[in-house]
Order: sequence, then structure tokens, then C-alpha cells
Amino acid sequence: MGEETVSGVTIEFLSKKKLQEESFDEKVDSIITRVKENAVVVLEEGWSPEEERYLIEHAMEEVDEEFPGIEFLGLNERDSKIHKAKRMFYEKVLNEKYRQGITIVGNSRVMERVKKERDAVSFLAKLEEEE
Amino acid sequence: MIGRLRDFFSNLFSAQEEDVSIGIYGPPNAGKSTLSNQISLDLTGEKMSNVSEVPHETRAVEKKEKVAIEADGRSIDINLLDMPGITTNVDFKDFKEHGMEEDDAKGRAKEATKGIVEDVKYLDDVDACLVIFDSTKDPYTQVNVTIIGNLEDKDIHILVLAKKIDKEEEDTERVRDAFPQHPVLEVSAKEGENIDKLYEEIIGRLS
Repeated sequence: MGEETVSGVTIEFLSKKKLQEESFDEKVDSIITRVKENAVVVLEEGWSPEEERYLIEHAMEEVDEEFPGIEFLGLNERDSKIHKAKRMFYEKVLNEKYRQGITIVGNSRVMERVKKERDAVSFLAKLEEEE
Repeated sequence: MIGRLRDFFSNLFSAQEEDVSIGIYGPPNAGKSTLSNQISLDLTGEKMSNVSEVPHETRAVEKKEKVAIEADGRSIDINLLDMPGITTNVDFKDFKEHGMEEDDAKGRAKEATKGIVEDVKYLDDVDACLVIFDSTKDPYTQVNVTIIGNLEDKDIHILVLAKKIDKEEEDTERVRDAFPQHPVLEVSAKEGENIDKLYEEIIGRLS
């Protein structure tokens, strides 16, 4: 018996451990592939502004008639001085990325009413209407 | 020793001779091109960008070089860069809703995405930024947080401008609350309100 076809949005949660197995470039490639298939990906890690900028750039390069791009949200305390100090310490002293927080990436046709606050984020996961 | 001193003064001199690049950043339709035109018309007598109600009218970086700004008896030459609006998605279907034919809408979407990639790369090359927010909309979006975060990480001068302040639904306080670490200047390019104050701020920070 085949699997029953159900319409919906897949939400994938990727653990910190799993994310450590990939380089950043591989991670972005794999996220964009999943997002193109209408999944919303929730990462157990925060990204730096430069990494977010790379995500925007990469997503824009992938835009075509079928894929309009992404919505993404970072939930971290980046505005706080403590977060900035920790990030500096990790990058300058430990030579590694400070990854506290979560990052959510989805197809912009799926993620609507995206709302960002300092300590909360939300969105409506919508199924695209058939034309 | 003499050689090092000569290099030092040579570098100092060339640094002073280089014009300062000021990028005008912000979301699509925030009023970046209206402001660019206001500044360019005021200081050079020429417009620099087209303006439209349809998003992504500016799809490549528009540059006006050697624009002389004067205020408080001081003057600097700047290169003014009107940047495409940064967003994370460009759906050609949105342009069709503005009455465009399908092929034109697809072409505009393609150009817009190229413009955003160019725009994002330029974040490394500007000396200062005017970050413009439409004061009728929520400025605390992920894209705006990302842009400001990148500029802060590179220690690039930032001046936040709240535009469309003549609209009934404007909420400049929301702009101030979103990025309290940066000064906010209220401007109306259409009315020319506070443009002189903007020149003073630029001169004060960069000269």
C-alpha cells in the first residue's frame, strides 16, 4: 500500500549536533533545497549578520518562476551587549562561531504574516493555492 | 625611517583625497530614490533615479559621484549610492498585481534579484549609510536587523532616517524603539523637511 497523500507544510527541526556536521555553505545549500520543497526548517543555532547576509544572497541567486525566495527569522539576543561580548570572545579567542539562538527559514510562499520581536517570532504557515 | 614617514603622509593625503561613499539602504518602496533625487537635485541640479509605486523600480545601484555637501562652513565630496531595496523574496506574481504583463513581470523579478545581490555585496564598500525606514511600517523586520547588524560589525557610520512623516499613520517612535543604538532623523524628501539637518549630520560625522 502506498503512503496516503496529505497536503501540509513539513516543519523540520535540525539539532545543534546535526548542524555541526556540515560546513556553512553546505548547510545553506541543503536548507535552500528543503525550502524549495516547501519545508520550513528550524535550526537549533543562531547566525551572525554576515551569515544571514550570505543566506539572502544565496536565496536571491536561486529565485526563479517557481521559487520566489525565502522568509527567515533569527531568535537570539543579538542586540544585547552580553551577546555581542560573547560573540566577540568566541570568534576572537576561541576562533569559533557563537551559536546561541534559533534560526527559522522557509519558502516565502509558505511563510506569511512574519512577525519579529526582540524575544519572540511568529508566522503563519500557509499552503499555496492551486492555480 | 624616512621612507615609512613618507608612506604615512602619502597614505594620509590619499585617504583625504578619496571621496566618501554613502549608500542609501532600506526596504523596497521606503523612499530611497525620492531622497536620492532630492539630494542630487539640490546639490547638482540633476535627478539620479526613477521613482515608481511599483516595488523594485531601482534594480541596479545608481551612483552620483563628486556630490559636494556643505554645512557649518565645512564641505566634503561624496559618492551617493541609491541602492535597490533589500528583501529576501521577489515574486513575479506581485508585479502582475500592479498591472504588468507576465513576461515583463518575470523580467523585472529577474533584474530585481540581481540588484539585491549587487546591493548586498556593496555592504563591504560603503563608508557610511543612510538607512531609510517608512515610518508608517514596522521597521523591526529580520532583513532590517540583518542590514544594521552587518553595518555595525564593520563599524560603518549609520544614520537612520524616518521617512513619510507627513502620513497620518506615521509612527516615528516605533523607528526609534527598533534601533535605539542609532540616532534617528525625521525627513520628508517631498517637502524637503530636515534636508539641511541631514547635510549637517553627514558633515558632522564624516568630515
